[in-house]
Amino acid sequence: MPEQEMQLTISTSPHLRSPETVSSAMRDVLIALLPVTLISIYMYRWYAVFLIAVSMVSAALFELLFRKIMKKQATLHDCSALVTGLLLALCLRPGTPWWTVVLGAFFAVGIAKELMGGLGWNRFNPALFGLAAVTLLAPLYVGTTSTFAAPLRQFFGSLDVITQATPLALLKQGLYDQLSLSGLLIASPGGALGETSALALIIGGAYLLYKKQIRWQIPASMIATVLVIATFWGNPLENIAAGVPLYHVLAGGLLLGAFFMATDWVTSPITAKGELVFGIAIGILVMLFRKALGPTEGVAFSILIMNAFVPLIDRLTKRPKFGEIPAKKAAVAPARPAVSKGN
Amino acid sequence: MSVRTFQRGVFLPHYKEFSESEPISTISLPPEVIIPLQQHIGAPNQALVAAGDKVKAGQKIGESGAFVSAPVHASVDGTVTAVEPRPTFTGASVECVVIAVDREQQEPQWPEQDHAALTKEEIKAAIKEAGIVGMGGAAFPTHVKLSPPSPIDTIVINACECEPFLTCDHRMMLERTSDLVEGAKLIARVVEAENIVFGVEINKPDAIEALEKRIAGENNISVVRLEVKYPQGSEKQLIKAALDREVPPGKLPLEVGVVVQNVATAVAVYEACRFNKPLIERVLTYTGDAAAKPGNLRVRLGTPISHVLKERGGIKGAPPAEDGEIPMPPHLVGKVIMGGPMTGWAQSHLNSPIVKGTSGILLFTPSMVAKTAHTDCVRCGKCVDHCPMFLYPNYIGLYAEKGSFDRAAEWGAMDCFECGICVYVCPANRPIVQFVRQTKREIAAARAAKAK
Repeated sequence: MPEQEMQLTISTSPHLRSPETVSSAMRDVLIALLPVTLISIYMYRWYAVFLIAVSMVSAALFELLFRKIMKKQATLHDCSALVTGLLLALCLRPGTPWWTVVLGAFFAVGIAKELMGGLGWNRFNPALFGLAAVTLLAPLYVGTTSTFAAPLRQFFGSLDVITQATPLALLKQGLYDQLSLSGLLIASPGGALGETSALALIIGGAYLLYKKQIRWQIPASMIATVLVIATFWGNPLENIAAGVPLYHVLAGGLLLGAFFMATDWVTSPITAKGELVFGIAIGILVMLFRKALGPTEGVAFSILIMNAFVPLIDRLTKRPKFGEIPAKKAAVAPARPAVSKGN
Repeated sequence: MSVRTFQRGVFLPHYKEFSESEPISTISLPPEVIIPLQQHIGAPNQALVAAGDKVKAGQKIGESGAFVSAPVHASVDGTVTAVEPRPTFTGASVECVVIAVDREQQEPQWPEQDHAALTKEEIKAAIKEAGIVGMGGAAFPTHVKLSPPSPIDTIVINACECEPFLTCDHRMMLERTSDLVEGAKLIARVVEAENIVFGVEINKPDAIEALEKRIAGENNISVVRLEVKYPQGSEKQLIKAALDREVPPGKLPLEVGVVVQNVATAVAVYEACRFNKPLIERVLTYTGDAAAKPGNLRVRLGTPISHVLKERGGIKGAPPAEDGEIPMPPHLVGKVIMGGPMTGWAQSHLNSPIVKGTSGILLFTPSMVAKTAHTDCVRCGKCVDHCPMFLYPNYIGLYAEKGSFDRAAEWGAMDCFECGICVYVCPANRPIVQFVRQTKREIAAARAAKAK
């Protein structure tokens, strides 16, 4: 046998692999985020482009930097830093100062992901962790925002929509006449980049469901829970007449959270049953935040809180092995001869 | 007609088109056969011959006194040149009887007898004497499987052939329909089972038709149509799909009154009872995108895979073999596998002999060779979603990787039958089956240490 000419790969079974990889999944997420990204750029022009560019580039650089410091292989090709960067940008409002974005990316990719051990070991959704960090740190630099944002205005021109009240604020104040369901659904300015079009988010979510990158359990249970609570909090008939339940689904970050944040592989439960529990709990928390607290970032904090409970949910929803529970039908199925041992 | 299946599992590409329409053909005898003394699960055999002995095809050359064991037979007329360890398909060296094949071969004589007149004990003795083992790959001695401690009501013939590429059982169903049904009846008689069920995946409609035609009018024999899904041919999944019975974890099918036998095994049982013919040859699928001439081949046991390659034109696109050397250019062939693509063994050389459990020889081009680098688990849950045993392959992998084998066992490692789905679907390409095997070894060692 001409051994020197043979270069046979020796590896253990199985010898087939599905074409699916982490990078291909992340690319699907980027594709799914394209509609809402484009609409936010259409709405906010250069402000959106700037925000997205700063966020994605700094997320990628922080990943490179942290992995370099920790002497690990670069993993930019898995595209997860780009996804985190884009998601973070979509959570921010136009006019957010560039250094806030960079700080957010630092917390998202550097602290929440790489310091925890890299992709797969992070307990909290990186983009939301970054958002929460800059939100909580905001009081430290209150007042500086305008001075830092002001120079941008010279280049990008002024944009009235930036300063207008967000739909969620209007909802909180009961100003339903200033809200338009069709506007919320199709495209309307106000709030963060990712809150400009419910329809774009639904299209992206549908794409991820079609590509089997996410399951229906989390988005469905989250949205259904919010619908139910929004209906029955107060007078159900009045709520329905005013369209309150739908506003709660379409306004704010609920859809972005339901399709793109809560469904994050790493930080959501492992089984479908666990995902239902997770989604319902987030839905309840979101409504508590929205009803009891100010109309800010209820979705982000709800998801982050439930991220912490994922290991517990996994353990509590552990399913029985094959054959561990006798099939219910066994009693009804044609009885086989009674097994008497030792005859 | 309803199509049945089990829960979870995965749809794999079939890759059966290479060989499914190739009728079974017989491979010539090689110059030398290498017959491992142990080709089964159970006690090892002792050689009954020594170097220099003349042997005849069908002569018993290895046996053990143990019940859980199966004898081996010379597959050719020839002269024993050595009894020594040789590398086999798993990479491990096993004691083998090496036989130089005579140029002149006597046509083996297999006197016919009325197999319908045999008693259940005679059938079982014939099966043991013929050295029959599970030919789907598990290689568990068949006579042991047919000695259940509790009553059996149904025999399920595993005619799924759920692994991609493999088509030899399909061809057997078409070409040996009658022998297969007779073999199944003999198996049923041994354990006094009143029902026989053939479980066939619906991508073999011609096989279903042939079987139904053959069993028309016979009570207690039926064909169940099964969805084309991997691992439909795993015993527990097959029993669930065909009979809606669930075998509990850690238990055997006999627990629910069932014995499963595969197609090739049933045909071998027929031959053993009808002709007293020992297991000296088998049909396997020779295929893969790098195979010049794929086919379903009847091969004498002990034939080295290099001989099969030579006979079938070697590697697609490479020059034919010369002077016994088979060109294996690295840009045309990347992997040689014995068995199926999901559970088979990659080969480092072409000298491994074909054994009783060899269902296929696969030749992969480099583009078919799966990448082996892996990253950390990203908790996508795909392995959990598809696991046919409802285990948690993600946690098994994570804990085994860290050396926490007890925790890996808690999440189900010991109930895994290594179908390979978790690795197939894993976007991080994690070698979970390897982690499972490691866990099983470690736990077994720990238990053995405790018992001492």
